[in-house]
Amino acid sequence: MRLTILSSVFLTLSSAFLLYALNNDTRALEEALQAQERVAAELKSDIAVLKAERAHLARPDRMEPAARLLGMAPPRPTQLTGKIETGSTKEHAGQ
Amino acid sequence: MGRSVTISSGLIPVAGKATPVPGPGGAVPRYPLRSAAMMAAVLAAFSVVGVQLVRLAGQGAGVPVAAISAPIATGTSRPDLVDRSGRLLAGDVELPSLFVDPLLVVDRDELVEKLRGVLPDLDEPGLRSALAEKGRRFHWVKRGLSPALAQRVHNLGLPGLAFRQELRRAYPGGHLAGHVLGGVNVDNRAVAGIERYLDEAQLVDPVVSVEPSSRVPVQLSLDMRVQHALEQELIEAKRTYRAQGAGGVVLDVETGEVIASSSLPFVDPSRLDQTMAGGVIDRIAGGTYELGSIFKLMTVAMALDSGRVTANTVLDLSQPLSAGRFEFKDHHGGARAMSVRDVFLKSSNVGAGTLALNEGTKRQKAFLASLGLADQIRTEAGPVAGPVVPGNWDRAETITVSFGHGIAVAPLQFAAAAAALVNGGEYVAPTLLKRPAGAVVERRRVISEKTSAALREMMRANVAERGGTGERAATPGFAVGGKTGTAEIAVRGRYDRNAVIASFLAAFPIEKPRYVTLVMLFRPARTAASGGEITASRTAAPATRRLVGRIAPLLGLKPDATANGS
Repeated sequence: MRLTILSSVFLTLSSAFLLYALNNDTRALEEALQAQERVAAELKSDIAVLKAERAHLARPDRMEPAARLLGMAPPRPTQLTGKIETGSTKEHAGQ
Repeated sequence: MGRSVTISSGLIPVAGKATPVPGPGGAVPRYPLRSAAMMAAVLAAFSVVGVQLVRLAGQGAGVPVAAISAPIATGTSRPDLVDRSGRLLAGDVELPSLFVDPLLVVDRDELVEKLRGVLPDLDEPGLRSALAEKGRRFHWVKRGLSPALAQRVHNLGLPGLAFRQELRRAYPGGHLAGHVLGGVNVDNRAVAGIERYLDEAQLVDPVVSVEPSSRVPVQLSLDMRVQHALEQELIEAKRTYRAQGAGGVVLDVETGEVIASSSLPFVDPSRLDQTMAGGVIDRIAGGTYELGSIFKLMTVAMALDSGRVTANTVLDLSQPLSAGRFEFKDHHGGARAMSVRDVFLKSSNVGAGTLALNEGTKRQKAFLASLGLADQIRTEAGPVAGPVVPGNWDRAETITVSFGHGIAVAPLQFAAAAAALVNGGEYVAPTLLKRPAGAVVERRRVISEKTSAALREMMRANVAERGGTGERAATPGFAVGGKTGTAEIAVRGRYDRNAVIASFLAAFPIEKPRYVTLVMLFRPARTAASGGEITASRTAAPATRRLVGRIAPLLGLKPDATANGS
């Protein structure tokens, strides 16, 4: 009987300790998760801003004058002579 | 009797305390096993608590986390809008919004004065009224500030002002495709355009944080490069011909996808509340117009498809058409006899009226209905402005409708109908969303392939042959076919010869069209560039030539050195 009581006390204390430790571990994990989520949210927000900035910088009305300055223009029909091969280029390379 | 009594526990109660008593022979008795076990258990328990405390202390050495539950306004996150190649057209970004807690403000006048220096468009009366209101703890000063502006406000160091992060819609292209995109209000909810589709299709999510949407971007049918080219060419045409407005649309005839759509004046989607207040409408989908002679496409298609005439059938046009007190003549004199093909090429009103009368009013109504020109159509951005058809559709109306007067339709609706005439004869509803590769497109046959081919031949001749009304739309390197339309505008109940809508409908490459374009100039002036004329052949046609020459390479069409137009 005495052994049973002692065992029970020991088990109870052990369980309490384990539960306590588990509880703390869970809280620590939750905090870590929240921190990661906050970081992820901040990064997503940063990505959205960067995407918008990139699109703003690459908008056509900004790019076109720059392209013209570099001498770029749509192809003219006179620039294309003969038959245009759009398929394999290997045959041409071998000729 | 002087013998002391030894208590078996070795303790005697003295004033409530237990004092160890030496045992026999003066030695302290050994503790019994039970006491030792109890002490060990207590010691072990304290040790465990001590170890745990040390462990927790070690864990807690990281970054302290403040769990503040600040009140955050419920917002809306919206998915990105991208063009058909994935280029961003609209997206949510996190921006600071400025608010004031009137109770914490020390000097109201100083606050208003200093804020006015940083925010010129400050709603000063509203702010002063909020600051004067008793018991008020919150008032939005300005929502969606740029980070730089927020920093300047922050640097003022005024007590009572604070920021709250919110999701705001950003349109990185500025006014690009503004009419199509529409816009959102301060709560990030749609008010117009394709943004409304996102709300209706339940693609927006209520959020309590400021995290952008994780949904897949919505891909539109628009091509940003073509859209830009269209807008630039419309600006140029409006300036060159001193027009009061301009509009244009580029449509894929096979899929019904709207590749570009623009209307001048533009709207800035990020300032939609202000621009909409000015009554700026989308002329392509939001307005209906009498389009004039480009409507002869429909009349000739109807006549050819019925089989009563062919392109070479000669019509007797010796007598002017009359209906009641009205008499219809051609402006340029006309001819006594003319083939159906020449009716198209010379844009004869009498010829078109004759063809329509031959077919009959009932057939005309049914044919236009089959092309979707009799009823209101919808796109994802909402309903397109409904057509205005004659209330009493009789002989006179049959004649006027045949050359595009007395009936007003939205340009987008007309372009979709024209696409059906040139793509082999099948109507495809216009869409603002990109169709997935291999998607089955719903088609409805409206004319035969033979009729479609005959129309294409006439459209090509109208551009390629010398003297055709569309001669100035001939684009080097690309085989373009088309039809001009110069519609007089009714001013105070009378058509004004000096106020017209000049339009040009083009299809290219005309042998097997992939795209149609519709360019419209509203009230062009007689300029040197147009040879002192306001007709579509001198205004909208050359504008179309510049447009097609610019967008065809962007659309992946190879220039053909033999297709030099006329």
